[in-house]
Amino acid sequence: MQEKTGTFCLLVAWCSTLLLMSIILFMALESWAVWTEVGPLKFILGLNWNPLAEPQQLGIGTMILSTLWTALGALIMAAPLGLCCAIFLAEFAPGWITNFLRPAINLLTGIPSVVYGFLGATVLVKFFEVNFSMASGESLFCASLVLTVMVLPYIISASESALRAVPPEYRQASLALGVSKPYLTLRVLIPLAKKGLLGAIILGFGRAAGETMAVLMLAGNTMVLPTSWFSKGEPLPALIALELGTSEVGSLHYQGLFAAGLVLLIFVLSINLLLALFRWNRRNGVN
Amino acid sequence: MSLRRLIDTLCLAIFWLAGLLLLIILLGILGYLIYRGHSAINLEFLLASPKGLPLGTEGGILPAIKGTLCLIMLAVSIAALPGLATAVYLAEYAHKNVISQIINTTVQCMAGLPSIVTGLFCYALFVVRMGFGISLLAGGLALGMMIFPVVVVTARDALLAVNKHYRIVGTSLGVSKSYILVRILLPQAAPGIIGGILLAMGYAAGATAPIMVTVAAIATPSTGDLFQPVMALPYHLYILFSQQVSLDKAYGTALVLVSLLLILNVIAMCLRHQKRREG
Repeated sequence: MQEKTGTFCLLVAWCSTLLLMSIILFMALESWAVWTEVGPLKFILGLNWNPLAEPQQLGIGTMILSTLWTALGALIMAAPLGLCCAIFLAEFAPGWITNFLRPAINLLTGIPSVVYGFLGATVLVKFFEVNFSMASGESLFCASLVLTVMVLPYIISASESALRAVPPEYRQASLALGVSKPYLTLRVLIPLAKKGLLGAIILGFGRAAGETMAVLMLAGNTMVLPTSWFSKGEPLPALIALELGTSEVGSLHYQGLFAAGLVLLIFVLSINLLLALFRWNRRNGVN
Repeated sequence: MSLRRLIDTLCLAIFWLAGLLLLIILLGILGYLIYRGHSAINLEFLLASPKGLPLGTEGGILPAIKGTLCLIMLAVSIAALPGLATAVYLAEYAHKNVISQIINTTVQCMAGLPSIVTGLFCYALFVVRMGFGISLLAGGLALGMMIFPVVVVTARDALLAVNKHYRIVGTSLGVSKSYILVRILLPQAAPGIIGGILLAMGYAAGATAPIMVTVAAIATPSTGDLFQPVMALPYHLYILFSQQVSLDKAYGTALVLVSLLLILNVIAMCLRHQKRREG
């Protein structure tokens, strides 16, 4: 009896691994024609996406660049803010503020991305249009700004737990030496927790790169090579969401979208595997 | 010495500001939604179908509410059992070995899967290959796949948080492991598990990218038939905004959606928190 329950649960657990494998395999099969006909290098670095033209041009270079630009931009803003916030929560906040702030962070993750996108498009974009007299306020910067708010909760909770994982002896020793608390935090805790903090930021990057609705509504959706943070672009998820419904099943266009999905999938998966490796090392290492 | 103190004060100020900024963002979002959305919400908005030309300028969002409820119920019924079984394996049966490492990593990778990729996979497999068409079943499967890792992680944590003494006492009394699991551990962890499932439901209700390619329709009565498309709140909000149908109705829809999610989240948080305090 005991064995049966355990075996059953193990089987179900294996099914999830199988599912993940089959997703990768399935996407690779669906997009096989693209990899053989266009070639991986030309597909990833190509700058023109014209699946309906003759001859068809399939290149997702501009989309990859837009994705990286929005995600990195979001990270530039979210990482310092998130780290400060995590330090505040882990070290400085009085109990009653923590009890108030932590649920607030959880609720921020509960707000769906489409609402973030909608608010960004009605408030932020309007703001840019009115105050900077732009013809249309959508830009990669707008998308980054909204993504910042979206990835903050993930960065905060991951880096807070990294800070809390520092053994208390360090705190006691520093305080016994008469070191001030901000000094202790900056010079002792952050260096000790730096792997975990880096992991939190990488996690935020993965989240930002895969986010669909906010970038779909805010980035402008034009297929030009983005030259600055304030130009428009079309990140990969937005491309897939916009064109999947209109592409003919089995056409090269359809397969191109799957190839784009596969690129995104592999990118995000490798980030997650890197994180798993980090965690594995930390558990086995000294700290 | 005084420079040191200055830097300390500066650091403290920055940390406090960062913490408070977050609170301001949350309150700002909620306040603005209520401010702009409350005028659109009345009984007719909640209980009527979209009307007017273009569709949605008048009338209500009842089919979208019904569709979203159908979707989250279907997603939870698909993901709950496999998720729970995986969590039980990870918490109770797994030893610190390669297998549990692989499964943990899998769950973590699935949690990080971009939602549009889940949508893409389900579109190709269920809608096209299996011939379900744009249907409630395909969307429910996509959402189920998406919330599976949430169920696993929350249920695993709830099981691990159960007091260790129960296990030790049970084993020393010679009770079998599965009996302890069913009669002691699961009931003890129940609030946490249910809280996690509510959290997953909220996650499913807000997801837009997977359903816009597998299930959502711009206007349909949302009968709940497994092979028919339904309307859904997030997709309705997207359409209202992107087709520039009606900004007022869009704010109303967003407010309804966010309130639904906040209620789910708050209940989930209370359940999970209560468990943690006792444990």
